[in-house]
Amino acid sequence: MKSDALRGHLDALLLATLDDGELHGYAIIEALQRRSGGALDLPTGTVYPALRRLERAGHVASEWSTVAGRKRRTYRLTGAGRRALSDERAAWREFTTAIEGVLGGGPWPEQA
Amino acid sequence: MAGAGVIDEYVGDLARRLRGPAHVKADLLAEARDSLDDAADSYRDTGLSTEDAERRAVGEFGPLAVVAPGYQAELAAAHAATMLRTVMLLIPLTYVLWELNRMFWIGPWTAFDQGPTPSWYVFVSQGNGYVPWIITGIAGASLAAGRLLSRRGVSGSTLSRLGGLVAAGCVGLGIAFNLSVVIGTAALDAPRLLMPAPVLLAGVWFYVVFIRVGVLARRCLVLSAV
Repeated sequence: MKSDALRGHLDALLLATLDDGELHGYAIIEALQRRSGGALDLPTGTVYPALRRLERAGHVASEWSTVAGRKRRTYRLTGAGRRALSDERAAWREFTTAIEGVLGGGPWPEQA
Repeated sequence: MAGAGVIDEYVGDLARRLRGPAHVKADLLAEARDSLDDAADSYRDTGLSTEDAERRAVGEFGPLAVVAPGYQAELAAAHAATMLRTVMLLIPLTYVLWELNRMFWIGPWTAFDQGPTPSWYVFVSQGNGYVPWIITGIAGASLAAGRLLSRRGVSGSTLSRLGGLVAAGCVGLGIAFNLSVVIGTAALDAPRLLMPAPVLLAGVWFYVVFIRVGVLARRCLVLSAV
């Protein structure tokens, strides 16, 4: 999947990876790749500024901590981030339901 | 831990392209470096040589032309936020210090000798007293607005430009009222401007603060255009 198609959804994807608990940046990238079956083809260097943007928006909070003997910046969802994720999921379900209704039923029957 | 070489060169090139607050830049680069080291380590575990593992990690991180603008936007936004917090605290503090200085060395203002105070002078002198608090309110509201705009996807570069314009407007407002009072006082009762040295120095310091904020505001525009 190309990065252009992902860009509009990157914030929601990042919030979703943090739904289960705090993660450091590289673990977020690994989670994105694992949960997408490797389909998310995004320059990993664009993820870190996106995380800072989410922090600026108050959707995530971060701090330096030691993970496996190495200092890493770890991120966690804030209350506002959880609400934003919930809204994004609802909007996505509505969108996919609508598109599925149009595209998902196979070829349209010919009109008489 | 991956060895020095390809990653060092990449992080060094990224560092040279970025401009902004040193501690934020160091923090962003440290995180980028950690990520590249993690990626290179995982590729080395699959049997790649150190150099190949680092090249692959750097390749996945992305070309500098793609990656650097996002980092630069966050640096510009961080600078603007720090500037607005500085404006919010420093300008009222400077004003309070000037007022305390004036009350200690001069005492309460007395009426002009030559008759009733003109209404225009009352307006500018009272306005000059309110301006620092108005500026504090504007800076605080701008910080809150920045967070809301961030949630609407407004880029760090745009926020930095807006912050710079707001700060420049605050400087213009503060200087306009202050100069009006000085000129008005000179017109009505010039000897009153001959204040004790500590009060004059506090007045000069007020201008130093305004000029400093003006420089920071200009830097917002520069950093958002890198």
